[in-house]
Amino acid sequence: MTNGNNHARCAQLLQQIREIDFCIVETVLYLDAYPDHQQALEYYHRLVEERGKAMEQYEMACGPLTIYGNQSQNSWDWVKTPWPWEADAD
Amino acid sequence: MWIYERKLQYPVKIKTPNARTAQIIISQLGGPDGELNASMRYLNQRYSMPYRDITGILTDVGTEELAHLEMVASILHQLTRNLSEQEIACSPFATYFVDHTTGIYPVAASGMPTTTSSIAVKGDVLTDLNEDLAAEQKARTTYDNILRLVDDPDVRDPIKYLRAREVVHYQRFGDALRLAQDHLDSKNFYATNPEFDRSASRK
Repeated sequence: MTNGNNHARCAQLLQQIREIDFCIVETVLYLDAYPDHQQALEYYHRLVEERGKAMEQYEMACGPLTIYGNQSQNSWDWVKTPWPWEADAD
Repeated sequence: MWIYERKLQYPVKIKTPNARTAQIIISQLGGPDGELNASMRYLNQRYSMPYRDITGILTDVGTEELAHLEMVASILHQLTRNLSEQEIACSPFATYFVDHTTGIYPVAASGMPTTTSSIAVKGDVLTDLNEDLAAEQKARTTYDNILRLVDDPDVRDPIKYLRAREVVHYQRFGDALRLAQDHLDSKNFYATNPEFDRSASRK
């Protein structure tokens, strides 16, 4: 869960995920038109691996990003942090 | 199906609410070239699209438009929070406020509720892709016009991001149009409509 101590860390991790996702979206739109482009595919796989690691770190420390990522056994953290459109969201 | 991710595609952090600015930007939520109609246009065009590569572009761009819809709604929400009745009464936002308070409802800046007539699904590959190319340019022009009218850098930053995405989507639909032409009869692109005529094989 986000608290004062790791708020900055969570904001930084989320920004890192956003940046990886931006690269993935761009690569995916390219691959749709050029599905056999080996260099683009290698880049895609590298990004997806990086994203997996960043997602795991974020969800462990900050809360779930999807409904499949609630780490806590005794708290439904999905509804406990700011929603993305709130000004104080990460 | 879709899976929701609890983050914006690009951050929106607006420090100063401004009802006038919200009244302008709302067109990219519910206006004729807004993100709501953009997502519905591409996602609905997919089903009869006979070429899987172009269907991929429609799916992925359409999904990104949903993320843009959420960004525009976030901008509107942050621009209209903590406003006083006085601030609303003195702004062009007052006419929206009387019907929707500060809830997010898709209308054009002119006040006209979203109309599905600008979604445009014709069921013909070349027609629809040309529609999509034009739609991206129309949205780009709308963001350019917003940038002419808005000074706040907190608002301009995500609007510039959204504007840039329109340009990228235009380029990807250019790829899609070229792919479509590669699939068609090079001597007569209009010999068949592959979305309807069964003689044109699925690829």
